[in-house]
Amino acid sequence: MTPEAADALKGAIALVGYGLAAVGPGIGIGIVVGNAIQAMARQPEMAGQSRTTMFLGIAFTEALALIGFVLFFIA
Amino acid sequence: MEQLILASGACDPAADIICKPENVNELFEFTHPLFSIGPFDFTRTVFLTFLAMVIVLAFLYFGLRKTRVVPSRFGVLVESAVGFVRDDIAKGVIGPEGGRYVPYLLAMFLFLLVANLFEVTPGINFPITSRMAIPVFLSLLTWVIFVVVGFFKNGFRYVLDIIWPKSVPIGLRWLVGIIELVSTFLLRPLTLAVRLFANMVAGHLMLTLLLVSGWVFMSSVGDIGARSIIGLPWFVFGLGIYLFEIVVAVLQAYIFTLLSAVYIQSSVHPEH
Repeated sequence: MTPEAADALKGAIALVGYGLAAVGPGIGIGIVVGNAIQAMARQPEMAGQSRTTMFLGIAFTEALALIGFVLFFIA
Repeated sequence: MEQLILASGACDPAADIICKPENVNELFEFTHPLFSIGPFDFTRTVFLTFLAMVIVLAFLYFGLRKTRVVPSRFGVLVESAVGFVRDDIAKGVIGPEGGRYVPYLLAMFLFLLVANLFEVTPGINFPITSRMAIPVFLSLLTWVIFVVVGFFKNGFRYVLDIIWPKSVPIGLRWLVGIIELVSTFLLRPLTLAVRLFANMVAGHLMLTLLLVSGWVFMSSVGDIGARSIIGLPWFVFGLGIYLFEIVVAVLQAYIFTLLSAVYIQSSVHPEH
């Protein structure tokens, strides 16, 4: 394999790696938001607090995808 | 946009399957400084950073210069922004002690709001937070604050509670301790900075690609004739993303400030 081909392959594999890293957080954020909507529908008077907690949950769940993003840049 | 045209001119569409720059960051660099002072180049990004600072200062100065019982319309806007950060973010998350951190959180929220909204400001169209230096500096500032507050409030027990958590079964304490140590001191500032940076880079790239490609197709109607209609859906889609990016810009400023408050809160009350 020529060095150029190896370089191109490395970039492609990094892209696939980022895609895989995004799967888990995608599912996690779906669960977080879905449950937050349920909580807001059941207790609308707590909607403000649920929304803040939802953003926090999203932010923490996102961390894995962000690490994948960084690795994509480094690779 | 200038960089995008330069990058597209450098590649040969007949030979390369994908025309892309070596690194995405090349698209965000302004290589021609406006002027230089010694080794420091004063580029458009630096100019916009100072502009954001001036806008925030003017916003607060003119809004709170004369406080009245019944404020003017602009005064209501400024007071609601200050009240939102003070009551919802600082006191809502940190608790009654949150009042001490209001100046920091307010400055950060307003600066990030202006910096992010530069992305969708006509004539500027460049989010300065898509240059990694600004998110990294702000997240390091938050890191320094929550570590210093943690040591100041709890002494050395702050680190001890993280690496040897009492609420966990003794067999698992070392494992949870390692995870908590890495996540508190390494991953917190990293993800805080990268979240903002990644959102702004992705938004700016999407807007530029969709709007520019749509515009290029539609404006070359003389050369390619009826086929230039393909640019119209791109342009419309780009305008939809434009509205979405306004939401993203405000939301990312909010999330950055909220997470800073949460990290400071975890140092003020470490047992939660």
